[in-house]
Amino acid sequence: MANEETKVFGALIQGYLGACLNLNIVAGKKIMDFQTQIQTTGWYPLSRWVELERTVLQSYKNANAILVRVGMEMMKAWYNFGPGKTLINRGSDFLHYQTGSGGYESVIKGPKKQVGSFELVKMDGRKGFATVHSTTPFNRNMECGVLIGGMLAPGDLDYVDVTNSKDPDTLEIEFH
Amino acid sequence: MELDDLLKRDRPPGKGAWSPTMDDFEKLFWKCKGLIKERERNVAFWKSTNENLSMAYDKLDDQERELEKAYGIITDDLKVANRIQSSLLPSLNGQMQDELEFAVYHKQLAEVGGDYYDFFKTKNGGYAIGVFDISGHGVAAALVMAYLKAQFTLAINLFDSPKSIVEYVNSQSVGFLRNVKKYATLNFVLFNNDRVNYVCGGGNGLLVHDYTPILFKKQDYFLGLKQRTYNEYTLPFVEGDLLVLYTDGITEAQNGNFEDYSIRRLNALIVANANREVTEILDAAIGDFRRFCRRQQDDITLIILRKRRRS
Repeated sequence: MANEETKVFGALIQGYLGACLNLNIVAGKKIMDFQTQIQTTGWYPLSRWVELERTVLQSYKNANAILVRVGMEMMKAWYNFGPGKTLINRGSDFLHYQTGSGGYESVIKGPKKQVGSFELVKMDGRKGFATVHSTTPFNRNMECGVLIGGMLAPGDLDYVDVTNSKDPDTLEIEFH
Repeated sequence: MELDDLLKRDRPPGKGAWSPTMDDFEKLFWKCKGLIKERERNVAFWKSTNENLSMAYDKLDDQERELEKAYGIITDDLKVANRIQSSLLPSLNGQMQDELEFAVYHKQLAEVGGDYYDFFKTKNGGYAIGVFDISGHGVAAALVMAYLKAQFTLAINLFDSPKSIVEYVNSQSVGFLRNVKKYATLNFVLFNNDRVNYVCGGGNGLLVHDYTPILFKKQDYFLGLKQRTYNEYTLPFVEGDLLVLYTDGITEAQNGNFEDYSIRRLNALIVANANREVTEILDAAIGDFRRFCRRQQDDITLIILRKRRRS
């Protein structure tokens, strides 16, 4: 287990890449190489993901808003062209899907310490508040975007906002 | 509940007034707030995108400045190289000036090039002329030109005949030229009283003797292709005769219809103007060439000589 490497599912990398290309926020040979090298059904070292993320971060003075949008775009594609519609019917279902890191663990595997978790810890559907605790190696702004995009995708919610200003690892969600 | 739905209820089809519920207002409130939030996210996204664009422009500016600097260094180097190469080109010596009328058009395609001509004083007091076209253009060809000049300067002091001189230079140069994947066409002409002796390795030569054009035999090899012997030919060259030597920069230039200017066209023009001054013949040839082909495509050398008439 000690030598086990953290791996990311190819579909997630391709989703990230597809979102970047759709939004025209990255370009060039490096990105095109990623597109040809990564298979959606394969598993790849976390370093490939980090490399891709760095490519985006290097291009922007402040990439926070960009990464939020990337996360949203990824989940839009996941819902409309991936398995999303078969897994969730309503925006709040996306939060339930995160219970026990279920959604997260389908796209990453490796030592628990490195992989971390992405877990729904609190939810009040009536008031429209929820909390997700994240210790993943991924960018938190992108994760905010993932939650916003995943919850807005079914189209039943009028308002979704996610903040992590109090604690970077605590994602506070408001939805209506 | 959409805003449209609310407004439609203002004119209900039946009885009863429009009575939106608190739920309707709450739904509308969150819808508005959702739109505002979406707008905020869009603004933040485009702000970052614009900053990225501005960063990219800054980077482009930096790169442009670096390119400009590098271009400046290269241009300065090429200007120096051009001056050096020009200084390697010869001027007529006294004896040649006494015996020959002379006109030359020599223009490299770039700052430096591979066309090269030279006048030589032979070891027994005669004189000779060489015209060379080194394959390719630019700095590499210019370096080979300097190398060949040194070889010919050495050979002219060792041998008497064009054949021996060219064979010596070829034997000394073939290894080097093959290594650097270059070769050179040549015309080497030795003036010998009322005759000229020449060796022609792919160059172009025309002699107009008593208004009769004679083409140089050019079946010998270029310099630098292989170790071999060369043929030497003799032609009459008396007072009033014209000698024209040129590289393929003129004759292989193409017009918009991909037609070559051609050896035939240049030779015909020279023969038709053979009774004029050499500078006038040169002007006529270059004028006709420029009308045919507006853009220079290769290094060009055209030399016209006439044996002066003794008055």
